Amino acid sequence: MPLSFTIALAGNPNVGKSTIFNALTGTRQHVGNWPGKTVEKKEGTTRINDYEIVVVDLPGTYSLTAYSLEEVIARDFIVNEKPSMVVAVVDASNPERNLYLVAQLLELEVPVIVALNMSDVAHSRGLKIDAQELSKRLGGIPVVETIGNRSVGIDKLKRAIFELATREHPGIVPQIAYGDPLEAEIDALQAEIEQDELLSQTYHPRWLAIKLLEEDEDVTGRLAAGDHETVLLTARQAAQRILDCTGEDAETLIANRRYMFIGDVVSGAVVRPTTAVETRSDKIDKVVTHRVWGVPIFLLLMWILFQFTANVSTPLLDWIGGVVNGPITRWALAILDTLGVEGTWLAALVVDGIIAGVGGVLIFVPVLLFLYLAVAVLEDSGYMARAAFVMDRVMRLMGLHGKSFMPMMVGFGCTVPAVYATRALENEDDRKLTAFLTTFMSCGARLPVYVVFGAAFFGDKAGNLTFAMYVLGIATALFTGFVIKRIVYRNKPPQPFVLELPPYRLPTPTSVWLQVWENISEFLQKATTVILACSIVIWLLLALPINGDADSFNNVQPQDSVFGSLAGTIAPVFGPAGFDSWRTTGALISGFIAKEVVVGTMNQVYVGEAASSTPGEADKTNPFRDDVGEIVTGFGDAVILTAQEIVNIVPRTVNIIPGVHIPEADWLNQQEEKVGSSRLEGALVAAFERTAGSPDKGRLAAVAFNVFVLLYVPCMTAVAAMRQEFGTRWMAYQIVYTAGIAWLAAVIVYQGGLLLGLG
Amino acid sequence: MIIAQTTLDQLTPGQRARVKRIAGKGAVRRRLMDMGVIRGVEIEVVKVAPMGDPIEYLLRGYHLSLRRSEAQMIEIEDR
Ligand SMILES: Nc1nc2c(ncn2[C@@H]2O[C@H](COP(=O)(O)OP(=O)(O)OP(=O)(O)O)[C@@H](O)[C@H]2O)c(=O)[nH]1
Repeated sequence: MPLSFTIALAGNPNVGKSTIFNALTGTRQHVGNWPGKTVEKKEGTTRINDYEIVVVDLPGTYSLTAYSLEEVIARDFIVNEKPSMVVAVVDASNPERNLYLVAQLLELEVPVIVALNMSDVAHSRGLKIDAQELSKRLGGIPVVETIGNRSVGIDKLKRAIFELATREHPGIVPQIAYGDPLEAEIDALQAEIEQDELLSQTYHPRWLAIKLLEEDEDVTGRLAAGDHETVLLTARQAAQRILDCTGEDAETLIANRRYMFIGDVVSGAVVRPTTAVETRSDKIDKVVTHRVWGVPIFLLLMWILFQFTANVSTPLLDWIGGVVNGPITRWALAILDTLGVEGTWLAALVVDGIIAGVGGVLIFVPVLLFLYLAVAVLEDSGYMARAAFVMDRVMRLMGLHGKSFMPMMVGFGCTVPAVYATRALENEDDRKLTAFLTTFMSCGARLPVYVVFGAAFFGDKAGNLTFAMYVLGIATALFTGFVIKRIVYRNKPPQPFVLELPPYRLPTPTSVWLQVWENISEFLQKATTVILACSIVIWLLLALPINGDADSFNNVQPQDSVFGSLAGTIAPVFGPAGFDSWRTTGALISGFIAKEVVVGTMNQVYVGEAASSTPGEADKTNPFRDDVGEIVTGFGDAVILTAQEIVNIVPRTVNIIPGVHIPEADWLNQQEEKVGSSRLEGALVAAFERTAGSPDKGRLAAVAFNVFVLLYVPCMTAVAAMRQEFGTRWMAYQIVYTAGIAWLAAVIVYQGGLLLGLG
Repeated sequence: MIIAQTTLDQLTPGQRARVKRIAGKGAVRRRLMDMGVIRGVEIEVVKVAPMGDPIEYLLRGYHLSLRRSEAQMIEIEDR
């Protein structure tokens, strides 16, 4: 044995595998993806005596079949990378189903150690497990009792790992006996496989024989591609003989035998309480998934989750925005000053391109912080599975899974966390489809556009426009889901819903915090590049002159820049929708940076008010100390306001009931100041009227414009999130589809309106 | 308690039955077997979701939720 070796951690979902992984590796870990897959891969190291041990966390799975991506990844790792051993984390309170995976690991003929986790839970349920007996009945493989969240048994586990790895004779891995007529067929097939040198080097012959009899799609596919037709033929004939002889297919027989084996193991080592006790979990569940209360409780929790991502995160978000645009920008300018490059394009690149880009990334951190916090609590408590249980009926109409509801809800706050929230779904196709649809849930940043246009064109009835946009978004999602399921996924076999409802547990702060931290640091690493690139490109487009003075790089009016002429070139595309001016088009293009920017850009191009993002000369003289003070007091205020927003969830929720009004807390006396944008409103009415030809047509064009804003490509951060989660191709589909459907809908609204005589 | 039905979805909360066979093919069937739904295992209906589907079952000491369409694939022994 070398002084370093690799072990893998396997186990069912939710058995405390991450907890054991963290207890083993501490902070020495690295999170990435499995090569070419979107499934997360965690790797860490631990030291035992003089050995450096690499611990690889395999995806949580119930089995090792070819039907799910996670399962194929897990077993490929064991087959191809040949780790020195697999530590199977087993939930002691649910031994039978958990040992099924262990049985399959044994078939792979890899040395296995069982970590009997959750032994405290098993104990409290009156389950008595004799670890020694269990080990004996599993053919002598080591069994160690652990309580992951209290680090109990971790040292013993390490010792067991060390002993097994340094053992002179690794010993034989126990085998499951499949009985007649399976054993004879397995033996025959195994003999034939052993003839083939290449095959028997890659796979363990017995395992391969079993997989071939099970007609495992992945393995048969690989053998067919590798020109092993004769082995495949023998296997098919053998499977047929088994079917003829027993009346059952080999796959069923093998699964039955595995459970029989487990039954034998458990019957001698586990003593169950004679009377089943009603656990606290059962009592909670009676209320939470109650026939009448189930849905209201679910909606209430989702509403609170929405409040967390949409409102509670705002004070910290504003603070980060303020720090980046204020002190940090000033300091950068001061440094650039001392370098003697102030006012040049380099300074502009740093401030408007790089700092703005980085700020754009950082601003999402509070939103994601609260999202992941809430999601981790929902997951760890066991509620997430219940949410799927309660909502599945509704979501199925869209071809989605019960778990899809939560990301959709988050989408009304912000599309970016919504895309990440799809991680709660296990199935890749469900995840993709859900993420695809979340962008049609009108996010908070689109709201100001409806408000400004509503006030400008509809006066008192402004609310109707907003309401219509939200409804249209949901309708588009329904339509898209329906179409994709029917056309793109038409030939996909139905995905199993089959969902475990784990017992309720109190989430532990460390476990929650680790999940939050992992997810956020991953976002920072991956999203930064795309967002930085986008914001530099946009800056460049605005800085490059195309008309007039060629020397005016970085010093041109928007309409003379590449950006302006690009907007001008694209504008005619929107002719059929009635808003083909370069100004509206420019606003839409900049909306790609962030939808918040749409109104700001309109202010700039229609009213000529420069957005005051670049601080003036006077600001630059702010002494360093004041800036630091501002950051600190700003943070203090943000924390107070965050607490206030959490408190305000109560009045906001109660106030939904008609006729009830509880005032919201306002601890810092910051009555919301209404931004007076009447000048913009007037300019908008005039401009749309001019472009479309008459006041009525102008109004129709304005509605079409709002429809476009609702549906078109989400902001670059959301696009970056899509890319991080699903790859470049899927991201491209989304850009094309959203742009296409937005254009189509806008044109239908405008032309349809004209036909109906509204214009 | 006499149960004349033959598939799992026909049971009402509180009733139990033994599994005879899983009909159908492919991923759903395989997943059911992996979750321990195999011949001879006893399953109890715990409750039905608020909107009538899916259904929660208890087997092998843990809770499993299945859509009605999936429960329909599971044939149970008559008693
Ligand atoms: N009571 C008890 N709780 C535990 C034990 N081990 C872990 N937990 C808790 O169980 C919860 C789930 O643990 P995780 O480590 O996230 O489980 P996992 O297997 O990685 O789950 P997935 O990531 O969903 O696959 C956490 O809240 C842990 O704190 C244990 O031995 N006893």
